[in-house]
Amino acid sequence: MSSPRGPGRQGGPGRRPDKAQQGPQKAQGPQKAQKGQKAAQKKSSARVVREQLARERRRRRTLWTSLIAVAVLVIAGLIGWSVFASQPSTSDFTAPANATADGNAIVVGNGPVTIDIYEDFICPFCGQFEKSTGSMLDQMVSENKVKLQFHPVAYLDRASSTNYSTRSSAASGCAANEGKYREYAEALFNRQPAEGSAGLSDDELISIGTSVGLDGGTFGSCVRDGTFKPWTAHVTEAGSRANINSTPTVLVNGKGVNPNADAINAAVAAATK
Amino acid sequence: MVTSARARWDPVQPWLGLAVRLGLAAVWFWAGSTKVGDLAAAGRAVNAYQIFSFDVARVIGAAQPFVEIALGVLLLLGLATRLAAGVSAVLLVLFIAGIASAWARGLAIDCGCFSEGGPLAVGQTPSYLPEILRDIGFLIMAAFLLRWPRSPLSIDRWMAGGQRLEDEDE
Repeated sequence: MSSPRGPGRQGGPGRRPDKAQQGPQKAQGPQKAQKGQKAAQKKSSARVVREQLARERRRRRTLWTSLIAVAVLVIAGLIGWSVFASQPSTSDFTAPANATADGNAIVVGNGPVTIDIYEDFICPFCGQFEKSTGSMLDQMVSENKVKLQFHPVAYLDRASSTNYSTRSSAASGCAANEGKYREYAEALFNRQPAEGSAGLSDDELISIGTSVGLDGGTFGSCVRDGTFKPWTAHVTEAGSRANINSTPTVLVNGKGVNPNADAINAAVAAATK
Repeated sequence: MVTSARARWDPVQPWLGLAVRLGLAAVWFWAGSTKVGDLAAAGRAVNAYQIFSFDVARVIGAAQPFVEIALGVLLLLGLATRLAAGVSAVLLVLFIAGIASAWARGLAIDCGCFSEGGPLAVGQTPSYLPEILRDIGFLIMAAFLLRWPRSPLSIDRWMAGGQRLEDEDE
């Protein structure tokens, strides 16, 4: 790329002395003038060579810096890819009891209509959803109308300083293992920490468990050991893969439905007909 | 007239170039560092655009934050500024195209430009226009560096031996 102001300033400090010399030389005798011209020619051809060499150097320098820069960018991309690829495989997990066969969700109820619910325990809208529709869903289960499949995905780990999404989801797996997913999830949402906070500590997660009737020993060690963290990673990846990207997401018999009581009621009624 | 405008521009350009270069470096650092802590989330953000398959989106999401930080480093150091500016411009054009296509398809997502992104929660409305305008602003910065890549306090200038070759064509 050439700069339009190149020639203007290029000649600046380098050339002006030559021109200044040429001026007075012309006023002298013809012989001396010729000599002067020859010298000037020599000088200018030397300068042309010098400039060519400089251009060549510059080109080489640009080439090398460009190659280095490209290498830096490519290596950075490869680092990202390898960091990601080296993360433990999410197919290596043990699902808690009461999970679906593929381990993607916790099953509650046994009705004819299936409702899938993707929720993250730190997501404020999930908390609101639980408060506004939780009891309705529980009632549908007790009337044997629906089967609920809960996917406690950990999408919002960055919303807390302690990966609360993953820890709470894994703890809900511990609760599910003892058959108390719903009770525990409800209690978690009742004490939902704000986004951007540290979230609840493991001790708090455990005491919430004992408050809904879970055994402090079994449940406590399950939470502390992070027994179901690999399962949480699996649930999270399965949700991502299914293009579930926001929480809460509600599917009635596999079809997306607005996460509110009216829409779910209507969809369940339509599916029951 | 032209010469007086140039006389005013010439001393300003290098320092403006420095400001733009460091500004764009900060943009890339910011963009990369908000995503690098959760690569799975970055992959989901790419996946939310529903342009690539999930597996491709995950690889892009994992590589992108590191490339963004590397671009920030190149610009901060002033190494191969024109190339870094060119890559920046290409990425920004792709981002703008991605956001525009999400907009056109009626997706409700956060662009994931400076966060994990992904779809918006119920009740949140997307802000595509401000996101696009912001990216166009960054694109103008990249274009400035493409046109005037030289600035003080850069490895490019240091390797050129200071001011000497400053104004010669490349």
